[in-house]
Amino acid sequence: MSSLYQSMVTVIEQSITPLAGRLGQQKYVIAIRDGFTAALPFMIIGSFMLVFIFPPFSADTTLGFARAWLDFSQTYREQLMLPFNLSMGVMTFFISVGIGASLGRQFNLDPVMSGLLAFMAFLLVAAPYADGKISTQYLSGQGIFTALITSIYSTRIYAWLKEHKVTIRLPKEVPTGVARSFEILIPVVVIIGTLHPLNLFIEAQTGMIMPQAIMHLLEPLVSASDSLPAILLSVLLCQIFWFSGIHGSLIVTGIMSPFWMTNLAANQTALAAGAALPHIYLQGFWDHYLLIGGVGSTLPLAFLLLRSKATHLRTIGKMGIVPSFFNINEPILFGAPIIMNPLLFIPFVCVPMVNAVLAYTATKLGWLAQVVSLTPWTTPAPIGASWATNWAFSPVVMCLICMVVSTLIYLPFLRAYERSLQKTAVENETRSPLTETAISN
Amino acid sequence: MVKIMLCCSAGMSTSLLVRKMLSVAEERGMPVEIEAYGVAEFDVQFPRYQVVLLGPQVKYMLSTLSEKTASHGIPVQAIDMMDYGMQRGDKVLDYALSLIEAAH
Repeated sequence: MSSLYQSMVTVIEQSITPLAGRLGQQKYVIAIRDGFTAALPFMIIGSFMLVFIFPPFSADTTLGFARAWLDFSQTYREQLMLPFNLSMGVMTFFISVGIGASLGRQFNLDPVMSGLLAFMAFLLVAAPYADGKISTQYLSGQGIFTALITSIYSTRIYAWLKEHKVTIRLPKEVPTGVARSFEILIPVVVIIGTLHPLNLFIEAQTGMIMPQAIMHLLEPLVSASDSLPAILLSVLLCQIFWFSGIHGSLIVTGIMSPFWMTNLAANQTALAAGAALPHIYLQGFWDHYLLIGGVGSTLPLAFLLLRSKATHLRTIGKMGIVPSFFNINEPILFGAPIIMNPLLFIPFVCVPMVNAVLAYTATKLGWLAQVVSLTPWTTPAPIGASWATNWAFSPVVMCLICMVVSTLIYLPFLRAYERSLQKTAVENETRSPLTETAISN
Repeated sequence: MVKIMLCCSAGMSTSLLVRKMLSVAEERGMPVEIEAYGVAEFDVQFPRYQVVLLGPQVKYMLSTLSEKTASHGIPVQAIDMMDYGMQRGDKVLDYALSLIEAAH
């Protein structure tokens, strides 16, 4: 056991930590994550409107209150859709500005300018303009990958031009504020001068404008991202990173967010059209079935710890239970600890994977409602799961099943861990009575 | 006034520790300012503080982040995993103070 543990520690130190370091500190991964984080409040509130537009009642209900709500939503559908259309429907605006600003900050550029530059770069290629109207077709999910590319491109160009001092030179007497107002002109010219012709060229060659062409190219990848192997792989990666003490969810959600958002928009479009929802694996699925109480679904474990025989584990349970309701479990991860603890490795990795298989299968069988709404990841699990599906009931049941599964898988390993803690405590007691208090401190 | 910044992915779990550290500082009658931030805010916030402590889960960013603070002479270190897990406000506060001491 101890030699196995040693080799595990070696693997973690020599390959996993450097890999996480490279992935998690990659400028573009950080910028994408920050961009989505910045856009999130608009999209959460925007998608919250869905419940008013599509009340969670069947169309032939006779319940007075539900009937009134349904009639209201039908009469005022267009008015109710407006906040949704101007947040979720144009999510790429917020994402572009967010990515441009974050990347700009990392390159020591003015974040407001780099954000706006990214915004313009995106509009240039993704917002076909005719008769005084802009088409919104590519401003939602269909434009996300384009927004990533144009934001990164425009900020890189801005940084490159600044680095190589390609700017309008003015005499020293000109105040710095005035000089700066000219500084941004060159990047704007270069962005327009490159992206606009490129877009025209792509359109002439393929008959598709840039976002259309990009979505066409990425189609296989986007559909592969919504499959059981993709779920299991992303969960496995996250769990192994976290087990090594690295914030794996930060890295995995950074990579998955563009796919989740694209697919979320597709689900919302289907909902609005009254069609079957095409996608299963979305942020709400990840947050509320796989990370119940935080990574590793440790909320049930927190309850088990509260009633543990080991003083140390009881203390951790008391400390960890309240944050756990809001999916924050660092006290448990580092305190129990789960991290680098060979006795808890198996349940920590298996619980979310088993739950992923169950929730995926249940959805495939048509028993579980699919995600159509964005939720804050700190929402307590059953509530968040229901909210994400526009307040269906089946996710609440699924969440409870996931918690039972989690309890059953953690329990035997926790008991083994308790026994090993007691054994070391007894051994220490025979040698020095001081060590035990240090452990249960 | 001692100014300490804690930093983790979203500033959520470190904010738990901030409360513990503040109550220890209060017991000791020590004037402190302690705040928790997410890594996204790191660049903007760190110059206002004397020391930055990272949650162990973002320790892998230590080298990049300490490069940024080096020119300001602000030390950055990761919090010990056990102290973090057990939310030992006293130990983490002592650690922060020792880092400030060592830097000056």
